Amino acid sequence: MRRYETIFITHPDLTEEDLSVLHEKLRSIMSSLKGELIKLEDWGPKKLSYAIRKNTRGHYFLLDYLAATDLVRELERNLRLNDRVLKFQTVKISNQVSPEAAQALPAAGPDKKAINVIERSSPSPEPKREEAEPEAFGEEKKNESAS
Amino acid sequence: MKAPVKRKRPFQRRKVCVFCADSGMRINYKDVKTLNHFISERGKILPRRISGNCAKHQRDLTSAIKKARNIALMPFSLFGS
Repeated sequence: MRRYETIFITHPDLTEEDLSVLHEKLRSIMSSLKGELIKLEDWGPKKLSYAIRKNTRGHYFLLDYLAATDLVRELERNLRLNDRVLKFQTVKISNQVSPEAAQALPAAGPDKKAINVIERSSPSPEPKREEAEPEAFGEEKKNESAS
Repeated sequence: MKAPVKRKRPFQRRKVCVFCADSGMRINYKDVKTLNHFISERGKILPRRISGNCAKHQRDLTSAIKKARNIALMPFSLFGS
């Protein structure tokens, strides 16, 4: 298993319903190909640094997961086919995640928590989320160095 | 004939790589605030001779900026003021 993270940008005007349909789709792909979702972060609508398909704003999401290569391929294929997704990028975080570490990770940030992240973001305090994100990353790094 | 006088260079403080100096600082493509220190007004990546980064960190930084650009967190180019 490898650990990846995918950032995808959706159209900014999507309704909650559209988004939940999309998330459900991604979750089902993930479970069908034996991936493990660590977290799904909602960064909210942000201004894009350059226009993508004539959109100056986009809704950012971050998927953090453990997967094999076939899952990444399938996930990206689906994102590519979806017109509501403006752009996506997958980055490999670590090459090898041992089974023990894999079990420890979802315990830290389980699926349920990921849902909360999305719910919390609906009032959209944008700067707050931006601050919270690097902190979370720092914690991850600490965990890695400790182990 | 006199040998040409060696031109004196103005004294320059030797710059130290900020990522080496401060071990708490990490290069991450999602951390746009940090990466913004290392681009010019036009959005170009600053060269090592200006930023003072070491080769290793400059390499990591460059790839981080390019990743951030790809996902529209950072601009490819900005209009100069």
